[in-house]
Amino acid sequence: MAQKTPPVRPQPTTRRKFLSDLAAVSTGVAAGTLGLPAWAQKPSTKTGTVRVWGEPGPYAGVAVDAMNEWAKKFAPGLAFKLETLSWDSVYVKLMTDLAARNPAHCISVESPIAYQLMADLLLEPLDDVVQKVGRNRLIDGVKWEYWGAWQGKQYVLPAHHQPHLLVVRMDVVNELGLGDPDKWDWNDLRNAARTIAEKKKDMAGISLALGRNLCTDYHFAALLHSAGGRMFDPANKFQVVFDSPETVEALEYVKSLQPYMPRGAVSYSFLEVVDSIVTGRAGISFYWGRPYGRAAEENKAVFANLQSFNHARHPKTGRRSNWNDFQGWCIPRPNNQYVEEVKAALVYYQTSPQWLVRYCHSLMPNVSPVYKDVLNNPTLQTHPFFETKRQTIMNYYVTSLPYSSSTANEWLRGVNPLAGIVHGRSILAQTVQKVAVDNWKAADAAKWGAKELEQVRKENLRLLGGAV
Amino acid sequence: MSQAADWKRADSRIGILFIVPFAVTALVFMVYPVAEAVRLAFYHHNPLNPGASSFAGLDNFRALAADPLFWQAFRQAAVWTFSSIVLQTVIGVALALLLHLPLRGISVFRGLLLFPYIVPTVVIALILQWMLNADLGVVNWSLRGAGLIDENVYWLASPGMAMLSTIALNVWKYTPFVTICVLARLQTIPLELYDAAKVDGAGAVRRFVDITLPQLAEVLAVVVIFRTIWTFNKFEEIYLLTRGGPGTSTFNLAIYSFEQSVANLKMGMGAATGVVMMALLFVGSLIYMRVFRFDEEPTQ
Repeated sequence: MAQKTPPVRPQPTTRRKFLSDLAAVSTGVAAGTLGLPAWAQKPSTKTGTVRVWGEPGPYAGVAVDAMNEWAKKFAPGLAFKLETLSWDSVYVKLMTDLAARNPAHCISVESPIAYQLMADLLLEPLDDVVQKVGRNRLIDGVKWEYWGAWQGKQYVLPAHHQPHLLVVRMDVVNELGLGDPDKWDWNDLRNAARTIAEKKKDMAGISLALGRNLCTDYHFAALLHSAGGRMFDPANKFQVVFDSPETVEALEYVKSLQPYMPRGAVSYSFLEVVDSIVTGRAGISFYWGRPYGRAAEENKAVFANLQSFNHARHPKTGRRSNWNDFQGWCIPRPNNQYVEEVKAALVYYQTSPQWLVRYCHSLMPNVSPVYKDVLNNPTLQTHPFFETKRQTIMNYYVTSLPYSSSTANEWLRGVNPLAGIVHGRSILAQTVQKVAVDNWKAADAAKWGAKELEQVRKENLRLLGGAV
Repeated sequence: MSQAADWKRADSRIGILFIVPFAVTALVFMVYPVAEAVRLAFYHHNPLNPGASSFAGLDNFRALAADPLFWQAFRQAAVWTFSSIVLQTVIGVALALLLHLPLRGISVFRGLLLFPYIVPTVVIALILQWMLNADLGVVNWSLRGAGLIDENVYWLASPGMAMLSTIALNVWKYTPFVTICVLARLQTIPLELYDAAKVDGAGAVRRFVDITLPQLAEVLAVVVIFRTIWTFNKFEEIYLLTRGGPGTSTFNLAIYSFEQSVANLKMGMGAATGVVMMALLFVGSLIYMRVFRFDEEPTQ
């Protein structure tokens, strides 16, 4: 009698195994999928190290791997080297290196800083690169200018788009009967945060950043825009419109949420907010897709119950504004001897769906695809997160887009090159802290913030060019 | 003998040769940066747009005087410096007295004392950030375990505690400097003075007040003046631990200067802050020396 072979149970694919398998198969198969332009195949005899700045996370490393693949084929004397900068030090590093006339040769930055640099004519125009990459490839709901166009020229090439959304622990919300987060307005959100803080031991209702940092700027900007407020009015010579009832309302809303936040939130930045989500110390948060990857490895119970939604509606305006990074690649002009090589390497990697899929896969669902052929690529959906987090992923990738906003393009109604300076000075975060830490009245804080913004505008009229 | 003949003397030339490296180094790394900072203080200068630099006269200093944050940073710098120096001096002298005791194995402790002074600030500040983390840090965990606190203490997230934490870091790191200086001086005090005082019936406190303290006065004066200058100018400890926050509750003038220069791109304002700090320390040092008469030759 033949011995019965026990049935083989399929092993669940883990995120890390998936990524390592993917790395093994994707390297070396990139070029040619969309047809690499001859221009990007022109060999270079230059030698040296091409410095590339990227934010923390594996995706910048993937892009640099792709660039090095190009270098191996067409510029063997060059090596692309990634310098990882933490979010809060990007501005300082950028400004000091630019001041020293020694910036990296290629940088990946968020739109506020990119807009500032392009308006200051510190970036190389990339229209020729866009032409080669394919002007018609962008997904629906976005435009090239979201990443960085100024006075008719494109200065920034899309790396990804990246909104922060409402991250919710669904097990907690269901247990406490708090309803469908997709239908919440601001009052429901506050009520949910209060209920969680009161009913769940050792869990904050909501975790937001209130420190003097970029994360606070980004969290508050979404609330400001939802309330119908803005910093500047690009249609009216960039006049400051921050001292408004909408700003006051957004500040008062933050203050009303504060009792349900961790007490340490006044010093929270990106890392602390992620920690509070992943360690299960917060029921709700505003965040990008980053915590999913970490939770999948460190806290499977949290991962299983996390879900992201578009933000709660403002009760009057109905807006659900998020903050979308619109992160892109740009090439600084000063002292850059590798402009042509960086352009060719960017074309190489941006015309390869394999590399672009791998870029997205490296930290799901933190970096959303920007080209249709990548979004619709069957390989993209082979990531194991699609089995359990499809709706969340699609919220980050697609359904968030109608609510995209940022300080650099408020309500997507006009590029604003002053936003980078605003973040460099942490003006929004300081305004929030006036209310959250110093207990100022929201109206006084709004006036203070408006005064600071006016100062930024006055000092940088040159950046506004013909607009003023 | 003529001056020209003096110049040719070999020992003079060798002397000058020895001085040249120091003079060049001092010119390049001390005199030039200070001169450049003073020059910048009178200019509007944006590092991203250096072509648009313009003479500002006293505008930068007027802007400082009108900025409430400057005055807040000044007050906080005074609190941070005064508290740090008092604690470092008291603890440093106490530790030196302990380490001066003729006990077996005391040299091991003298060696260990240097540890905080040796550890790079960036390392210790980052470790402390985690140790003092209100939710995950080992400090709160230990205090809760020992039953000393019921609720987590927000060491770096509440304005008062953040200032205390930065002072504690500074005291921990630089007290060994005070201890070493004082210990070195203690070891040179003639024992006969103590023996004579004992014969005259002086107790331990009396001997400390009448012999030890006066003998330490000069070394303490130097230590206090150096520590004051270094602490007042300190940047990295506060920046690494709290970045001047929460809010601006731990801003000192060095952080303020950095923010003006790098975040606000107002190099002139940043330089003007530096000039004000330099002037304050210079005047303060003169007054201190004059009040305690350290600039006078000892009389026989």
